[in-house]
Amino acid sequence: MGILENLYKMTAIQDIIGNPGYLLMLAIGAFLLYLGIRKQYEPLLLVPIAFGVILANLPGGNMGVVPSNLIELGEGHTKNLLEIAHDHGIMNFLYYSLIKTGFLPPIIFMGIGALTDFGPMLRNLKLAFFGAAAQLGIFTVLISAILLGFTAKEAASLGIIGGADGPTAIYTTIKLAPHLLGPIAIAAYSYMALVPVIIPLVVRLTCTNKELLINMKEMDKKYPSKVKIKNLRAVKIAFPIVLGIVVSIFVPSSVPLLGMLLFGNLIKEIGINVARLTEAATGSILNTATIFLGLTVGATMTAEVFLDFKTIMIIVGGFLAFAISIFGGVMAVKIANLFNKKKINPLIGATGLSAVPMASRVANDIALKYDSSNHILQYCMSSNISGVIGSAVAAGVLISFLQ
Amino acid sequence: MNQMGIAFELLGVGMITVFVILALVVILGNGIIMFVNKFIGEEPKVQAVDSSSPVVTINPQKLAAIVSAVSNVTKGAGRVTNVEKQ
Repeated sequence: MGILENLYKMTAIQDIIGNPGYLLMLAIGAFLLYLGIRKQYEPLLLVPIAFGVILANLPGGNMGVVPSNLIELGEGHTKNLLEIAHDHGIMNFLYYSLIKTGFLPPIIFMGIGALTDFGPMLRNLKLAFFGAAAQLGIFTVLISAILLGFTAKEAASLGIIGGADGPTAIYTTIKLAPHLLGPIAIAAYSYMALVPVIIPLVVRLTCTNKELLINMKEMDKKYPSKVKIKNLRAVKIAFPIVLGIVVSIFVPSSVPLLGMLLFGNLIKEIGINVARLTEAATGSILNTATIFLGLTVGATMTAEVFLDFKTIMIIVGGFLAFAISIFGGVMAVKIANLFNKKKINPLIGATGLSAVPMASRVANDIALKYDSSNHILQYCMSSNISGVIGSAVAAGVLISFLQ
Repeated sequence: MNQMGIAFELLGVGMITVFVILALVVILGNGIIMFVNKFIGEEPKVQAVDSSSPVVTINPQKLAAIVSAVSNVTKGAGRVTNVEKQ
């Protein structure tokens, strides 16, 4: 009988019976895995996050991320990494070394930069303005969240979901409200996966058929651009260097994200001479960073932290931030069309939030439904890529004001 | 300042900053394009391969070694544009 009792104590059964929240979290983890594997919602990140949720909620596994007060020793001192690994397990070692330090999001941004082509934006520079208008959701949801009782730092972390950029949302939350990291990362990546649903919804509510029929190629023929690029490769190499220096002067707090994005882009544009660096940035480094980011963010979602009213508010607020950002971009195009002869399809404004290149593909599909000759992908990519810069700058503003 | 005051200030400062930075993107982009158009000029065009000439396959490892050697000797200034067997 004593042996059976010892065996029972060794298992996690009594912990699960004692706290049914574990079972609910395991179900949430399984549901997220279903979304990632079966529905293919951002599987590269949702699958590691979901598995991290499961690992964190296996009682006795010691894989859940512990609150930062447990690693603080008082008087501004914290446990060192060896002590964290010894006392709280390897997941906390990974979290406090790679996430809490803000290391991984910029590394992921470097990979994204090396996968990004600024060419469409450089060919249609004026459309980059719509990437600014589409950051409206960040700041309006920030105000709403404060009205609902969030602190300014928590509200900023919630609002940044409207930037539709996973690493930016994670980086901002690490800096401002790390206790909300799990739900905010889940909301950000889930809504990015739902871009094919959210953009058509907002466009249907805000645009007329006449506006959606505006053919960008015909507009280009009627009103051709005065500036021709003679040497696109040279422009693409100079652009990240000059932009990086200038932006760092105006918004220094955006440099960790934007600087790494532009460095990644620079090595891509240099080409064959640094091909090995580009290969590493877009391959092994990006993939490794993605795995550790996903698992550790998932591991922050323990039952005690996630099963909270704020989580529901974050899910609802995140959706609103997304929708308002798309609305902001669409409205900016409508206002521009009032003053310009050369009309712009409002779908281009809708892609001003990040979510590259999915937002552009969705907008292009909508345009083709209305006019099968209206291929607007290249135009959408302009505002879409500028949206990445815009959301990183918005994050920099929030961090420098609130940290 | 109360929380709402900070929120409205962030709305103003944040949106203005994002617009200013993206305006800089447009201005800098145009500036770089004009500079490159004026001082660097057109990209050298890749010559089309003459289909009448016999196609000679070169071992990629040998080609990489040649490119690397030229780059080393010329300190990065030289470029291999064509390799032909005699």
